[in-house]
Amino acid sequence: MSELGSTGYDIAVGTYEDALSMVGYTTPVRFGEIPVNIAMVRYFAAMVRDANAGYWDEDFAAREWGGCISPPAMLMTWVIPIEWKPGGALPMPLLTARVPLPGTTFVNASNETEFFRPIRVGDILNVTEELVEVSAQKRTAIGSGHFVTTCSTFRRHDGTLVARMTNVLFRFDPEAA
Amino acid sequence: MIEGVDYNQRFFEDVEPGDELPRVDDDITYRRVIMNPATTWDYFPGHHDPEYARAQGQPTIYVNTMHVLGFADRVVSEWAGPRSFLVRRKVSTLKSVYAGDTMVGTGHVVGTRREEQDGYIRHLVDLELTVGNQHGDRCAAVTATVALPARQETGRSRLWW
Repeated sequence: MSELGSTGYDIAVGTYEDALSMVGYTTPVRFGEIPVNIAMVRYFAAMVRDANAGYWDEDFAAREWGGCISPPAMLMTWVIPIEWKPGGALPMPLLTARVPLPGTTFVNASNETEFFRPIRVGDILNVTEELVEVSAQKRTAIGSGHFVTTCSTFRRHDGTLVARMTNVLFRFDPEAA
Repeated sequence: MIEGVDYNQRFFEDVEPGDELPRVDDDITYRRVIMNPATTWDYFPGHHDPEYARAQGQPTIYVNTMHVLGFADRVVSEWAGPRSFLVRRKVSTLKSVYAGDTMVGTGHVVGTRREEQDGYIRHLVDLELTVGNQHGDRCAAVTATVALPARQETGRSRLWW
């Protein structure tokens, strides 16, 4: 599997026991580095081909929501660190990538999100992530590995709770074909 | 009003359990799979590097979770209208959607309920959706709850103002 190379993320490697000892860990608050902005909202809506007036019509959105809103599916985007910074500061990877496990790669298994307030252009979100659970090794059609459950709480810059997300990611070694 | 933008609104009173959501078909070209890391900043290589995807045991690059969520949200919002608010959704991945596939969104109403929150009544609709592909495979199972405006509002609905 040498051709697999890097995941593009610096994922932590360790044993299942290492991962278990991290369960319950909650990250410090991490702030999004860019505000929710209309350019990214429209580019995403164009990618999904979503004609929702809340993304495209400023007047409608101002009346209905107090401004253009973010597609709910962009929630995670608003807290993804910028790849490169002047001066060379390294981005902090998401918590799921920092859980030490043997698997060389991952795919997402499930995502459940509850939204409490609309996310509007101009908002700056912040997030805390908690490692909720790491499953024992399981064998699936694509390989053997562990299911990693994290819970992320998203707040607006004024402290208002906007969303809570539980994500399950499968960290695995691909099965040799 | 902007031409082509969706202003059609559904109201709570007009919804019945069993109502079908209009089916949405969407061709997922390589270009659009690549657009998705560009729009979501998710540069995991399975979404842009076919060689990496094959080493993972996948035939080629596949859309990321946020694209599947965005597609499911589009299927909901094209039915519910732009004054609806997504309260909750759960997406379980069953199979990847690959470059070259067609994503097919279908769904129906499971139930309706009124719920009090902060002294106001929310009008909620529970939905079940499937994101499939052109072969008829189920790629993602989705449950969602959306708040709709009511023709007869019993309280201020815009809690966020």
